[in-house]
Amino acid sequence: MKFYKVKVEEREELGSYTLLRYRWSDGPVEPGQFVMARAAGYPETLDPFLARPFSFYDYDGEMASLLFEVRGRGTALLDLAPTIEVTAPLGKGFRIEPGLGRAALLGGGIGVAPLKILGRRLDAAGVPHDVFLGFADAKSAVVAREFQGAEVATMDGSEGTHGTVLDPIDTLEDYGAVYSCGPNPMLAAVKLAAGENSLCQLSVEERMGCGNGSCNGCVVPVRGGGYIRSCIEGPVFRAEVLAW
Amino acid sequence: MVVREQKTGVDLAVELCGLMLRTPLIPASGTLSREALGEVEGVYGAMLPKTATPVARAGNPPPRVAETPAGMVNSIGLQNPGVEVFLRDLDAFDLGVPIFISVAGDTVAEFASLCERLADDERICAVELNLSCPNVECGGLAFCAGPASVEEVVAACRAAVSDKPILAKLTNGGVVENARAAEAAGADALTVINTLPALTVDARMRKVLVKGGLSGPAIKPVALRAVYDVSGVVRVPVVGSGGVTSGTDVAEFMLAGATAVQVGTASFVRDPYEILDEFTVYLKESTLSAKELTGALRGVRPVLTGGEDI
Repeated sequence: MKFYKVKVEEREELGSYTLLRYRWSDGPVEPGQFVMARAAGYPETLDPFLARPFSFYDYDGEMASLLFEVRGRGTALLDLAPTIEVTAPLGKGFRIEPGLGRAALLGGGIGVAPLKILGRRLDAAGVPHDVFLGFADAKSAVVAREFQGAEVATMDGSEGTHGTVLDPIDTLEDYGAVYSCGPNPMLAAVKLAAGENSLCQLSVEERMGCGNGSCNGCVVPVRGGGYIRSCIEGPVFRAEVLAW
Repeated sequence: MVVREQKTGVDLAVELCGLMLRTPLIPASGTLSREALGEVEGVYGAMLPKTATPVARAGNPPPRVAETPAGMVNSIGLQNPGVEVFLRDLDAFDLGVPIFISVAGDTVAEFASLCERLADDERICAVELNLSCPNVECGGLAFCAGPASVEEVVAACRAAVSDKPILAKLTNGGVVENARAAEAAGADALTVINTLPALTVDARMRKVLVKGGLSGPAIKPVALRAVYDVSGVVRVPVVGSGGVTSGTDVAEFMLAGATAVQVGTASFVRDPYEILDEFTVYLKESTLSAKELTGALRGVRPVLTGGEDI
């Protein structure tokens, strides 16, 4: 996999998360496509060994941005690096079908990331949508200010509705399209709540080795048995494809 | 973009089992997908797709990969569509260089019938036996758990495919004895080594994260030692594998006795062309050809010795 060195132009702390901006000419064709990124230093450092997958948070034709949470050494170094190495756009993203009526966007924790660019693209396509964001606590919910009009829920009740991202919603079944990204148990709950009539698309968060389909490390179980790769066939899947 | 020009005046070609490889690099089985082929044109001297088994395998449930210091542990479980679908789609791997096929079975008979199936396919230039998989007839011990089972499976494959080279891919444990056994049973070359048995633990959740094989730069010194030891006791060529991440690594493996070198996990984190490029620069600076490197350490006393005789 070939990586490209880019300078971090802007770094913003948003509660528990960090937002990085860098110049990039090859943006996502579909919202939900991802970037493999790491702090610059290869091949001298070799450690952390693997790059990390991040959804494009936003892209305006010149600047790409990534939203992430520091969870280990890889993200800790990324958080400090003046220069990063990236390769993108990777994977399959959300498909926008304008004829389906109103859309619901549901993000959980750091899974809110691809919903920013998705919302922008839905606006461009003239698709009205509602945004629902769920977080652990008020600190991680700080990023919600970047999503105008979003309905917020926190598990500890310190911000917005006390409960999960689904708690403020009466029903998802009236939405023509449901888009979601977050931890797997949340996505399973969204899939159930979306029912069978909407186009429900889920962006999974999996650990990846390579990001280009080679290692088969990032698989998800599919209905009918077996596994498919979230880096090539995903990370966005039609809900009915997934076995959970 | 890197301009993929051939450096003039540097001879990268090597010969392996009668096959001319235009570079000594081969992708390690299971580390190069069809989707990534566009990135590697001109890098490799041979193609080696992911291991095929007689019937489709779903593979292991996730999590399948975990990062470790300078490496990763994987437990994929040989996910593949089975040999028939594999062969149907094989043409995608035709990049104008010889195609090697990695095979694995649950039994000696399955290995042999896979070899038989491939014997008449003219697209296939060589067969690599993935001997790290468990032998269900021997209580799940790997085929390369000992020389007797290595000899049995290699001999059965040899009988099934007479006119294509067979490479036996060995794990590090008992590698010298297993190498001798594979050679005696008719292997034309030995791939040394496969991933090392490894475990990652999630201390916070108090559970096993991934139990599988360790690859990446972390295992390079172990693999180099195995290549050095094996190439000293067999006549057949050795293909080095294990943690190759730079052009200097390629040179080290060849100096230690490898005729060709596999690049695996490193291709996830680097453009393999950069590895070839570094190797080309190394050769240019040393005014050597690739094939002159093989085994050049032999007869040279090690400068440093550890706690044991070398």
